[in-house]
Amino acid sequence: MSRPVAPRSDDARAAPAGVRRVPTACYQCVAGPDLLTVKVEDGVATEVEPNFCAAAVHPGGGKVCVKAFGLVQKTYNPHRVLAPMKRSNPVKGRDQDPGWVPISWDEAFGLIADRLNDVRATGLTDESGYPRVAASFGGGGTPQSYMGTFPAFLAAWGPVDMGFGSGQGVKCYHSEHLYGEFWHRAFIVAPDTPLCNYLISCGSNIEASGGVVGIWRHSNARVRGMKRVQVEPHLSVTGACSAQWVPIRPKTDAAFLYALIHVMLHELPRERLDLPFLCRRTASPYLVGPHGYYLRDRATRKPLVWDRATASALPFDAPGLDEALEGTFLVDAVEVGPDGDVLAEGRIDGATSFAKLVRHMRAYSPEWAAGICDVPAATMRRIANEYVEHACVGQTIEIEGRTLPLRPVAVTLGKTVNNGWGGYECCWARTLLATLVGALEVPGGTIGTTVRLTRPMSQRHESVKPGPDGFMHYPLNPTDREHWQPKPNIRNAYRTMVPLAGDGPWSQALGPTHFSWMFLDETPKGLPRVTPPDVWFFYRTNPAISFWDTVALGEKLARFPFVVAFAYTRDETNHFADVLLPDATDLESLQLIRIGTTKYVEQFWDHEGFALRQPVVEPRGETRDFTDIATELAARTGLTAGYNAAINKGAAGVPLKGAHADHSLPLDRRHDREAIWDAVCRAASAELTDGAEDHGLDWWRERGLATRPYPRDRWYLYPTVVERGLRFELPYQERLKRVGAELGRRLHEHDMHWWDAQLAEYQALPPWKDFPALWEQVVTAGGASLGDYPFWLLTARSMQYAWGGNVGLQMIREVADNIAGHRGVIVNPQAAARLGIADGDPIEIATPKRRVRGRAVLRQGIRPDTLLLIGQFEHWETPLAKDFGMPSLNTLATMSIALTDATGSGADLVRVSLRRAAPGEAAR
Amino acid sequence: MTRWTMVADLRRCVGCQTCTAACKHANATPPGVQWRRVLDMEFGEYPNVQRAFVPVGCQHCEDPPCMEVCPSTATRKRADGIVTIDYDVCIGCAYCAVACPYQARYKTDRASFAYGAATENEAKRHDDARLAVATKCTFCVDRIDAGLAQGLTPGVDPAATPACVNACIAQALAFGDADDPQSNVSQLLAQNRSFRMHEELGTGPNFHYLWDGGEP
Amino acid sequence: MTPGSGGAVGPDPWVQRHWDWRAAGNFIGGGAGSGLILFAALGDTQGAPLVAALLGGLALVGAGLLCVWLEIGRPWRALNVFVNLRTSWMSREAAVAALLVPVTLAAAAGIPLARALAVVLAGAFLFAQSRILRAARGIPAWRAPLAAPLVVVTGLVEGGGLWLAIGALSGAPTPPLAWVWAALLIARFLLWPAYVRPLPERARRALEPAGRTLRWLGTALPFALIALDAMRPGPATAWLALAGVAAALAGSRVKHALVTRASFNQGFALARLPVRGARP
Repeated sequence: MSRPVAPRSDDARAAPAGVRRVPTACYQCVAGPDLLTVKVEDGVATEVEPNFCAAAVHPGGGKVCVKAFGLVQKTYNPHRVLAPMKRSNPVKGRDQDPGWVPISWDEAFGLIADRLNDVRATGLTDESGYPRVAASFGGGGTPQSYMGTFPAFLAAWGPVDMGFGSGQGVKCYHSEHLYGEFWHRAFIVAPDTPLCNYLISCGSNIEASGGVVGIWRHSNARVRGMKRVQVEPHLSVTGACSAQWVPIRPKTDAAFLYALIHVMLHELPRERLDLPFLCRRTASPYLVGPHGYYLRDRATRKPLVWDRATASALPFDAPGLDEALEGTFLVDAVEVGPDGDVLAEGRIDGATSFAKLVRHMRAYSPEWAAGICDVPAATMRRIANEYVEHACVGQTIEIEGRTLPLRPVAVTLGKTVNNGWGGYECCWARTLLATLVGALEVPGGTIGTTVRLTRPMSQRHESVKPGPDGFMHYPLNPTDREHWQPKPNIRNAYRTMVPLAGDGPWSQALGPTHFSWMFLDETPKGLPRVTPPDVWFFYRTNPAISFWDTVALGEKLARFPFVVAFAYTRDETNHFADVLLPDATDLESLQLIRIGTTKYVEQFWDHEGFALRQPVVEPRGETRDFTDIATELAARTGLTAGYNAAINKGAAGVPLKGAHADHSLPLDRRHDREAIWDAVCRAASAELTDGAEDHGLDWWRERGLATRPYPRDRWYLYPTVVERGLRFELPYQERLKRVGAELGRRLHEHDMHWWDAQLAEYQALPPWKDFPALWEQVVTAGGASLGDYPFWLLTARSMQYAWGGNVGLQMIREVADNIAGHRGVIVNPQAAARLGIADGDPIEIATPKRRVRGRAVLRQGIRPDTLLLIGQFEHWETPLAKDFGMPSLNTLATMSIALTDATGSGADLVRVSLRRAAPGEAAR
Repeated sequence: MTRWTMVADLRRCVGCQTCTAACKHANATPPGVQWRRVLDMEFGEYPNVQRAFVPVGCQHCEDPPCMEVCPSTATRKRADGIVTIDYDVCIGCAYCAVACPYQARYKTDRASFAYGAATENEAKRHDDARLAVATKCTFCVDRIDAGLAQGLTPGVDPAATPACVNACIAQALAFGDADDPQSNVSQLLAQNRSFRMHEELGTGPNFHYLWDGGEP
Repeated sequence: MTPGSGGAVGPDPWVQRHWDWRAAGNFIGGGAGSGLILFAALGDTQGAPLVAALLGGLALVGAGLLCVWLEIGRPWRALNVFVNLRTSWMSREAAVAALLVPVTLAAAAGIPLARALAVVLAGAFLFAQSRILRAARGIPAWRAPLAAPLVVVTGLVEGGGLWLAIGALSGAPTPPLAWVWAALLIARFLLWPAYVRPLPERARRALEPAGRTLRWLGTALPFALIALDAMRPGPATAWLALAGVAAALAGSRVKHALVTRASFNQGFALARLPVRGARP
């Protein structure tokens, strides 16, 4: 065990009196966490700088991105809510002034505790069985790094509905989260950027969304010579920094990817693929019966393969197999379908999964795809060939003394490609592209980052446990008759409707979180009536801006009886709140967070450890540390013991009783913030050093972070899969097919037929469907003509604005203005000219039901049939942002079951019209 | 001799504006003033379009047009190449600003703050001496001088390096002495293809843009 | 969000925001004023018209300098403007102006040598103004090869025109220098397209209205008026005065446009586009 490294935060320059440089951490977005120092002069935070002491361990040189530089202004923003507020106008509505009145913390806590205690007295769940208390946090889990010990309060409380979404789980990488974890423990999929030589990126805007580490790694890769092909309807920041831009028609990426696979299967010699990988490490040789399920050994029910050595069918895990990759074989087997139904038994013809795949892909030639994608067949063919050439099948590399396959090719998908209808097909095709050349979870290839649905969450490799049929275990929500849950535990019904969402702490936010909102007005048949929660907490999220159908969402918010907003400034969602609680914000509050290993987006470290986010200045006004707020709420609701127990168990990030030390807090009394985090720090210290060290808060305050090495081979799942004798569950999705069939039966048994379109997605080999047509149907369903709505409206990431609640920061606005698209709607000049629109002209974008106004920004880097709205704006309450005059796709997009896929996600895509607006015309 | 030089690698830059923000922090520039900023430039016609992100700012030219026209000699060039402005001498005529072909100079007539009235951090940093006079990137000359005094190497040791270079998360910016053949910038220029902006105007900028690998 | 004064937009060139109507006023007043002094001192004007012209010219020059003084950020440091005679045309312009004032006053007072000196200094002042623009390497429309000569020529036309007007209104006969003035009027007319043609398109378009003014109000009308005047025997008439004023006004318009409308900056350009990861 090597000594951990803990940098001293001294400065080369002697600090003048009154000047400190305080190390802290930034985790405003999922591309973090990253490390910084804040210069404090006479108690005033003045400058953000990198933490160069962390450069040796942080994969981004100890630096932070532009958003972190907004933290000083975020602290001193004069629009901050600095005292608790209560609403004095009982009527809630967009046009109703809440009449905020400052109150004392005591009164605020009293108001909230009264409501909570009422709930405890009445019952933690309501007449529909839903939790009476709901809580929503945005930011893909990052708010957890800012809310102190609040998770401990929620844990002590009991059932909480965390499924009222603000976009997460639905508008994010949703399908990738679920399928990625299912296939290779990849909640988010990344390329192995430092080693990758050829990257196909379908709409993954990594240079805008990848944060410090993503940008750092890709910058190095570019200079090293990695070629990235960006397949995307507009020339994003990432497209700009790529070797090639392929302007694909929106929502046709599945056809593109299928065409690549077709080339690899039908135009290249089989030997160009990684045949040993396919045979040994995937389910390619598994035999499939006439009903589409595996042919299984009659005695053991294990799936069968054809062993060429013995010319017989043997179970997949028989020793010394020489599996046949292709062919159809007559075998003695049983074919088991849903609910254990025996569909066939005896001498049955079985084709290998791989043979079925080859046949399945035959129709999807580049010529076929060209008409759909509006990409020349030759381009697709060339990309497929380049991909295989760069794959280096057969090559190896030494990592941490082990010999691993080297396959320096990867495929990444972005938002709107890996969610909504078509998300399954794209994720499956992408994973297949990796599988065919053995580039899945190996150096250079397509790899996962972390897990959120399988457990344990902090140990990706430990979550690789043997499951059925030689695959990894996955905590699917049961669909068998005995265990399927017809009664959902929370309003978005994830456990009932989405087997892949699992049932872990994160599952609530990964179900169809728009259902919670939608079903308030009309709950579909079979689900208990969706009720507003008695108490709703929310923090670091603004669903009235960031979700769909924002106007209607606001109206629903107005019906919530009691809303507690942890508020930074007034905003569009807390406009409907009853109490505003101002938490001490990023630079004012205390929390220890984990850093390192491999996490989201591109955070691949060679170290692991912890960093302290510490107050660099006194909290402004009456703001309070979230930990103190949580402790007080627990006390006022009689939950102190349970709260402390939750902290002891690890709700603050580290179990206080570990293998080497016990820093558990006594249960019976309140502990202040310092005591709690000192205990957490000591526990972290012990965990990190295997008990050798026991450093408390003061030590961590000075050092900022501490780490120990994390082996590079842990970046790749392949060695663990091999070690445990498992196979990747590809290409054939027999388990999902069965699960879908069972789910269908369960739903129909309960007379629930409104999920039938989604059930159709559970296909073992998904065919291409006309995905764009689904969005076109939204237009024609109401009787409008598609020709009147000829444009695809998309969104893209604004790196400067996204996350952190920094939309109200003047400096962010100022610097973001340097990047095109922050002032209006991006339109192709040809398309604009046809409509008589000049750069800067006022324009209107409309669906048959809604319209928004903005200004035209003419750019060549976009398809003529596509419009782009960067970010999510159209604020009407948030100071500064409300004067931007930027429209949002979210106003135009609807929440609908029709546009929801089987995993419960949708996509940011709308068919719209575009016209020049007269200057004086009113919007809406 | 020493010739402080900035090198921006256009292959690396992603336009994130982290350097823009870092410069604002280090130099407490008022709203609208960006001594360092990154442009978003587009070329070509659909579908053959390219887009580049270009860090710009004072080029600390060998033959600075600003210095030539400055009536008060507030603008001077040091022996080590840095073009400086003496705020206490400057009359604020903005002749230098119109003379600069890189649009690198700013003049803020009145004190202005992010949200109207000065916030605590703005009040702490505000300097009346910088009102109504020309201002621009100084290559963080105070950091360089303080660093050199402590034996540090500008461009290598962060404490002696311009804030933008320190902050860049794509490692797109490099800073060093071009007159030292072993320096980081000299090596970058020797090993990559580069150009300078508006070369034809004869300003002799000490700001180079890398555009490709391979020897020049 | 409005950027700060002179604030950055781009990357396409934009009209500089540092020098506004006040800077234009310096070139307008200074150009016409020095031209007026030059013509008055050079010509054979005597008596009250001479004094009027010299003092009027000085007033125009002074008004222009006052405009500049109102525009600079630190007006109470104005004396620093003299320091960089070595390279700065603004310093030189200021120095010449400092000499021009007493010399012109002396000339107005009738001191013989002063008159000759006033011609030289007025010419030097006008020349310095033209070089101020030329040295502004950041503005293509100002550093264009013919910008400086244009400024000189139009200054002479404006000043000369005002001088003719003063003379005509005082009942003096048409002076011989009037022919020189007419030639300069033609020179300006010919110089204009030659100056404008090689400019970047933005600047060219921005100058079109001023160009029209120059052609019609500034050239055609004066010549028509001159012809009208010539047809009448006797001393110069109000027609001639009008011709001079029209020509002067057109020149003012041109300089205003030059300073505040056509002054697109150099913008930004890349000699090569970056190669990201592989050669296309």
